[in-house]
Amino acid sequence: MKSIEKLVFEFEMEKLQKQTRRHFLMDCVGKIGGLAMAPLLFSCDPGSNPAKPMGLNLSNRDLNPLSPLAPPFASKAKSIIYLHMAGSPSQLELFDYKPELVKNHNQPCPESLLEGRKFAFIRGVPNLLGPQANFTQHGESGAWVSDFLPHFAKVADEVSFLKAVHTDQFNHGPAQLFMQTGSARLGRPSLGSWVTYGLGTENQNLPGFVVLTSGGKTPDAGKSVWGSGFLPSVYQGVQCRSIGDPVLYLEDPSGMSRDLKKNVIEAINSVNQEEFNTYGDPEILARINQYEMAYRMQIEVPEVMNINDEPEHIHELYGTEPGVESFANNCLLARKLVEKGVRFVQLYDWGWDTHGTDHDGSIDMGLRNKCREIDRPMSALLLDLKQRGLLEETLVVWGGEFGRTPMQENREGKTMGFLGRDHHVDAFTMWMAGGGIKRGASHGKTDDFGFQGIEDQVSVHDIHATILHLMGFDHEKFTYDFQGRPFRLTDVEGELIRKILA
Amino acid sequence: MLDFILPLVGRLHPLLVHLPIGILIFGMLLVFWQKKSSTSYNPVIRLTFLLGAISAALAGISGYFQYQFEGFAWGSVQNHLIAGVITAIGSFYIFTLVKDETIFASKIKFQVLGLFLVLTVTGHLGGNISRGEEYLLEVLPAEIQALTGYEAAPEKPLEIPEQGWEELEFYGEVVQPILNHNCKSCHNPRNLKGEFNLTNFEELLKGGENGEVLKAGNPELSALFAKMILPLDDEDHMPPKEKRQPSKEEIELIKSWIASGASQNNTLGQAGVGKKLVEPFFHKEEIPFYPLTEIPAVPVDTLSKLRKAGFFAENVLQGSSWLKVSCINFPDFEDKDWIRLASVKDQIAYLDLSSTQVTEGILDSVTSLTNLTVLKLNQTGISGIQLKALSRCKNLKILYLNSTKISLENLSGLNQHPGLQKVFAFQTPAGNSVNPGKFSFQLETGNYSLPKIPADTIVY
Repeated sequence: MKSIEKLVFEFEMEKLQKQTRRHFLMDCVGKIGGLAMAPLLFSCDPGSNPAKPMGLNLSNRDLNPLSPLAPPFASKAKSIIYLHMAGSPSQLELFDYKPELVKNHNQPCPESLLEGRKFAFIRGVPNLLGPQANFTQHGESGAWVSDFLPHFAKVADEVSFLKAVHTDQFNHGPAQLFMQTGSARLGRPSLGSWVTYGLGTENQNLPGFVVLTSGGKTPDAGKSVWGSGFLPSVYQGVQCRSIGDPVLYLEDPSGMSRDLKKNVIEAINSVNQEEFNTYGDPEILARINQYEMAYRMQIEVPEVMNINDEPEHIHELYGTEPGVESFANNCLLARKLVEKGVRFVQLYDWGWDTHGTDHDGSIDMGLRNKCREIDRPMSALLLDLKQRGLLEETLVVWGGEFGRTPMQENREGKTMGFLGRDHHVDAFTMWMAGGGIKRGASHGKTDDFGFQGIEDQVSVHDIHATILHLMGFDHEKFTYDFQGRPFRLTDVEGELIRKILA
Repeated sequence: MLDFILPLVGRLHPLLVHLPIGILIFGMLLVFWQKKSSTSYNPVIRLTFLLGAISAALAGISGYFQYQFEGFAWGSVQNHLIAGVITAIGSFYIFTLVKDETIFASKIKFQVLGLFLVLTVTGHLGGNISRGEEYLLEVLPAEIQALTGYEAAPEKPLEIPEQGWEELEFYGEVVQPILNHNCKSCHNPRNLKGEFNLTNFEELLKGGENGEVLKAGNPELSALFAKMILPLDDEDHMPPKEKRQPSKEEIELIKSWIASGASQNNTLGQAGVGKKLVEPFFHKEEIPFYPLTEIPAVPVDTLSKLRKAGFFAENVLQGSSWLKVSCINFPDFEDKDWIRLASVKDQIAYLDLSSTQVTEGILDSVTSLTNLTVLKLNQTGISGIQLKALSRCKNLKILYLNSTKISLENLSGLNQHPGLQKVFAFQTPAGNSVNPGKFSFQLETGNYSLPKIPADTIVY
């Protein structure tokens, strides 16, 4: 054995003596360069360092991803109720009054407007379609609201209208994604996810981001519009059912006591916690949190999601009917949830895609029916929030994913049996109200036909920037690290709409 | 076809200037390096100064092209150009001196020193043109900046004081700041796009390469205004499409200035400007919602302790000491639990005790919160007899008393509270009374309804 050691020693000595300057230089280049590479490579790998998971920092949240955080800047609102009219209502029948369009009803649309533009269904030269509603001015602010929304006209002084919003997507799915996640492609977190990620939620017994749908269908873009994208999935929206139990299996199964359930959950969570300590994957925390949340929700949800106990005058105000799926019920639920400290309540109401293909999709009949369904509830929501003082700290946003054309749709170049309008991206109306929003303001103007914004145009990113501002964020600094770079809700765009801020 | 060559050469000027600087300094070092009685470096010195002279000349020529094609004002480049020419000539002169092989380096030290000074001045003037005169000053500590009389002054958007705006000079204090904010970066003595300088009144009157831009009394014929209202896609639109555009209120002010005669000394009042035009520029004094006093923040472990006890507790804002405490997950909170909040009573600015078990006695405890700004007591058992005690919370701004037994009589105890802005008393005896009367604060009693109308039931 000794002789082998001697041999090895001799070999080592020999090797050292053969070491030249060139070897040294080569080592320097190769090894020091390698050292420099290491941090570059590891920075792409969030899993290898469990002590500091990339992206999600939980040290200031007591390892609870939903625990509340103080906003970085003074906030004007603490909760948001977002009313999304999926399918996109016609701004020209509701808020954007265009007398010139009345005069030019049935005239061919000027070529100059159509040049270089594409529409979802309109082909060739369509005719202009005059507004099918009667407009009057309302309130001290003199806001134009049509007779399609007689109740909302009475509360028009509470809101700020954005009359010249534009988007860049003319199909429902991408446009809804753009409106809700800031990108027309899949994979980005929704507005609600961003807000719950940044602020957590106040009521630890309820989800921070609740989604309610009505109108018989969920949005075309699917559940991605309330998805968490690259944020940990604990921040995605929790959709509550509008008929029957709001959340399934809230009742304990017979024979299962609550204590036993608690024990099971604790056991599962301790195993999961072990897993998290090893791998540091925030998705595990999301799972732990969901188990705990589900357990706690059993107590709070049945009470919050039950509108039967509301007094009669509130039911009359909203026009609610317990037990059916309706926008009215969802509006009342939204108020209850916000009152209970839920951060973000997202309502989707489907059925606004008025192309004129049938009775329901006609501008003069189907649209009126849809308007009747939302008119009282959304006006009631504003009044109810106001009388409870919740409007002081709740932001209400209303809008579709795009607008509708001033021209009558001529699908396949043919005249259609009903009056309808095609998808329109250049100008449409949205409104906001409540926390930090000016009352009775109207921002932006469209041209004589309502085709395009000519003054104070705002983009979807501008709206997101403004919403984040009201919640206490600088949209340019509110980021999440993913795939090696910080991501923002507003990407590289977005400017605060200062003129509608109170 | 080769139109681009000369502008390209001009653009290479910032690159070429480094050649003479490097070469000449190398030559100067050699002159001082050489031993007194030696001439051994002479051939190198000679070559260096020849190369220095040639490169200086090239730099000068390219610089001239840049001046020609990039719209620099003669006045701003004049000294730089003269100094550059002197540098080239100077280095050639030294080259001819060293040509005499026997000359000792020590003999030409003063000439070399002189050339060094000229070179430095040239470089400095050039830097002033390309980087701005403040380039070096900007990074210095503020005390040294103050010594040089330099003040960092980025162009801010126009702001008009709400009081006495009529007395402002229309041109000097309104129009010029708008021009500075929106146009100056391309139309100043250093960067003279379109040979137009609008940094002072005289230059503004002079106009640019297309002649005058002002026609007093007629905005539509004044290019200054007319170009701003051209469609954004128009080639002549100013500022260029890709630059930030002035707001329509700013354009309106410029229009009314020209319409009023484009005078240098008129005040806003004399020009007959309406309040509507200047209102958008009024400086809004943001009054912070929470008290201004500074107190130490609550330690993190105290916050954690509160949360473990069941409270929602969080600073109202990152870095703020003010605390928001809510019992949203603590419905069993009672009067005797108050003691748990004692450690943070100075910091609590927002307290939500809604839907808890508190009774009238809590009001007395609450008055010990000197910085309380928002108080919520919705759906609690307070009767309101002690409500008057809250007038001791001088910072209180918003009070929520929905679904309690509060009466108008109780509320009148808070009348004339110095800071109280809003009181919410929906579903209370006070809210249900027929004539709520007037208070120093805004009383919101709600009970809104949307009366049924025929349209509610018409199906189309």
